[in-house]
Amino acid sequence: MTAEASTALLQMTGIVKTFPGVRALDGVDLTVRAGEVHCLLGQNGAGKSTLIKVLAGAHQPDEGEIRWQGEKTALSTPVAALRMGVATMYQELDLIPGLSVADNIFLGHERARWGFTKDRQARRQATALLKRLGHPEIPPDREVGDLSAAGQQLVSMARALAHDAKLIVMDEPTAALAADEVTNLFRVVADLTAEGVAVVYISHRLEEIREIGHRVTVLKDGRTVARDLGADTPTSELVALMSGKRVETVYPNREESTVDSSREILKVEKLGRDDEFADVNFTVHAGEILGIAGLVGAGRSEILETIFGARKADEGTVYVNGKKLKNGDVRSAVDAGVGLAPEERKSQALLMDMSVAQNVTLASMRSYSSFGFTDRAKELRDSRAKLEDLDLRPADPRRNVSTLSGGNQQKAVVARWLVHGCRVLLLDEPTRGVDVGARAELYRLIRELAADGVALVLVSSEMPEVLGLADRVLVLRDGRVIHEAPADELTEADVLDMVMEGSAA
Amino acid sequence: MSVAVPSQPDERLVKPRLWDRLVVRPEIGALLGALLVFVFFSVVTGEFLSPLGVANWLDDASTLGIMAVAVALLMIGGEFDLSAGVMTASTALVTAIFATQVGLNVWFALILSLVFALAVGALNGWLVMRTGLPSFIVTLGTFLALQGLNLGVTRLVTGTVQVSGMRSTDGYESAGMLFASTVNIGGTDFQVSILWWIVFAAVAAWVLVRTRFGNWTFAVGGSSLSSRAVGVPVVRTKIMLFMTTAFAAWIVGSINILRNASVQANQGIGLEFQYIIAAVIGGCLLTGGFGSAVGAAIGALIFGMARQGIVYAQWNSDWFMLFLGIMLLAAVLVNNTFRRRAERVRR
Ligand SMILES: Nc1ncnc2c1ncn2[C@@H]1O[C@H](COP(=O)(O)OP(=O)(O)OP(=O)(O)O)[C@@H](O)[C@H]1O
Ligand SMILES: [Mg+2]
Repeated sequence: MTAEASTALLQMTGIVKTFPGVRALDGVDLTVRAGEVHCLLGQNGAGKSTLIKVLAGAHQPDEGEIRWQGEKTALSTPVAALRMGVATMYQELDLIPGLSVADNIFLGHERARWGFTKDRQARRQATALLKRLGHPEIPPDREVGDLSAAGQQLVSMARALAHDAKLIVMDEPTAALAADEVTNLFRVVADLTAEGVAVVYISHRLEEIREIGHRVTVLKDGRTVARDLGADTPTSELVALMSGKRVETVYPNREESTVDSSREILKVEKLGRDDEFADVNFTVHAGEILGIAGLVGAGRSEILETIFGARKADEGTVYVNGKKLKNGDVRSAVDAGVGLAPEERKSQALLMDMSVAQNVTLASMRSYSSFGFTDRAKELRDSRAKLEDLDLRPADPRRNVSTLSGGNQQKAVVARWLVHGCRVLLLDEPTRGVDVGARAELYRLIRELAADGVALVLVSSEMPEVLGLADRVLVLRDGRVIHEAPADELTEADVLDMVMEGSAA
Repeated sequence: MSVAVPSQPDERLVKPRLWDRLVVRPEIGALLGALLVFVFFSVVTGEFLSPLGVANWLDDASTLGIMAVAVALLMIGGEFDLSAGVMTASTALVTAIFATQVGLNVWFALILSLVFALAVGALNGWLVMRTGLPSFIVTLGTFLALQGLNLGVTRLVTGTVQVSGMRSTDGYESAGMLFASTVNIGGTDFQVSILWWIVFAAVAAWVLVRTRFGNWTFAVGGSSLSSRAVGVPVVRTKIMLFMTTAFAAWIVGSINILRNASVQANQGIGLEFQYIIAAVIGGCLLTGGFGSAVGAAIGALIFGMARQGIVYAQWNSDWFMLFLGIMLLAAVLVNNTFRRRAERVRR
């Protein structure tokens, strides 16, 4: 113990942080050594993001001690933490859309003399950083608001690298990344640790932890339940530590197909949008789950949004139960029983300043109101039931959505459409940021919906999820469907090959 | 996971075409509007393009423009200042009272007035940051307070609602050289305020794109939480922005008092919205984090051209507001359409 204390780069002990009504951290210990990738695991709401915000100086702990290279320190501001050598990639805080890529990367520690920014130098260094991340083609003078989600994620990574930090914290950095970008990120992480930089890595994808992690700390309900485990600890053990219960299989097995091929529910004909996707045709039957595989940016989300009417199609038609939907009209889609759980929960789905219950019942307001008055009691009752199904924590429907952890916000979006009861449900990355236990529960619910005759379309960057859950899979590349096959005839490697090379096997 | 890194550049991330980059500039709507208004009045009236005509509408645009530029900076930083209009009267009154009633040299009175302005600006910023209330509410408070002070103090000191008699004070001539002189170009007198307007807009544009403070301005307006997390001094930046607006109000107040030699205590009320309108025509978003100083200056130019153009066309000036409303909507629509288009192209 003493030997470790002397070599530890960072030692946090007994950290407590309370928010009104929640004890988010209730005595957490975390020890990080130089040059290691230290993984932080825990269910949604376990307190991971709160802990790293304490470490980043964004939250002040109520109790506890932080030692940096053996010295006791107080991190009163984000600047203090940056000066000390801790750089953070937050799960939720975004970049500044109106500033250029280079300006964002060096924001707060500008390359400047007498207040004048050295733009050429900043641009050069920004390009160098992006090159290290495998993307030298991102123009450093481009406004960040103009970049795709993946591009923005890369910029925020470059920003963390720009600090010359001794410890870099990454809070679910791969949630919005495609497979190739994840590989790049891992390469960079390996380089960093080889240089002696420590990385605190948060992710719900256990396979990533196997790949790059050295040691693991597990949080549960704001407490450290296991520390300094090896990265090779069996999955079942990790999951048991996180959730306190055993999760046997993640994907529920398909005993028998629920597809009723006599009933076409959703039919998409020649759907296209200029510069996005073209000539998309498919049919989804009652009880069927159609998976769409493809890289981020291949047009997957755009297709779902167009079916839902949030974007206007330039060509083609969408039919639900044989009835044509009005182009570009969300109302007509919702009336026909179509639901969409979008990818960007924060900007596209949630009303951050309203309660969980209000968010969950938003799509079904009609069944909760009579003569313009809302039945709040029923609203609370129904949402509470779904929240318990999804294991949303804290399961209090009256809380503000903005105070939920990232994964729990995602569950609230999914719960909305479960309460609504749709005929067609479009799911765009439904498990992004959702922990392993809740994920299994979500998969079971999706299957149940199919068994009830709902037609589902599932978009996911995680191949096993698409292959494990869907009945049929469309493979998308550059806005075009390049392959279609039953899920059990495809392997992960096939699909990856197709989306990368475009060679339909 | 053994996936090869794609060798060809990712098409999601490459540069858009030049045209698409041009049309997302925030000042595009204002620029088109200014051209339109210019051509329109040049055609319907003869005097509009005469040297005297030009000098007139430039002068009209100049004092408004100085304020609009400062207000644009503040709006990019995510805040409003409703006290900006009355501040132009307050600064003039402070200068005038110290010069005529106390008998100080005008230069000295100007310095005291500047200190007063910066203090009020700092107070605005400090209150907004300290209370966490929207600046709309906080500066509405200072707006009312200053309005009361302007009238109350003026009546207390002079017994009337105006301060006059600047002409006989020490330093009036020399200070006037700086703030209220004219420059003769080709036989026509142009007000020096036009020069200050251009200088102020150029400096502001320069600060926005070339300095650390400019980055911080965009950052705190875009997201003050994220900015704080990466070490941007959010409180200091916002307070500085409020002080910049107050500083601009001091320039404009000084121009007014030295040009007219007297000031009414109820001057400036209602102008704050004109500043905001000019900034919005110039491409500022009400939500902060986006906008342009040059755009705001052009927005003010539209104001000046329209206001004087309507006079030359011998229309009733009642039409000015209608004209303004249409201009505002049109400019905002143009900005919006172009931004949308650009967004579509990049997705
Ligand atoms: N600002 C806040 N106000 C109130 N409660 C909060 C606030 N921030 C977090 N919480 C609560 O603290 C707890 C821990 O949240 P935290 O974001 O740290 O979870 P997490 O482990 O990062 O989860 P996830 O995996 O979903 O991201 C949750 O119960 C959350 O609702
Ligand atoms: Mg989190």
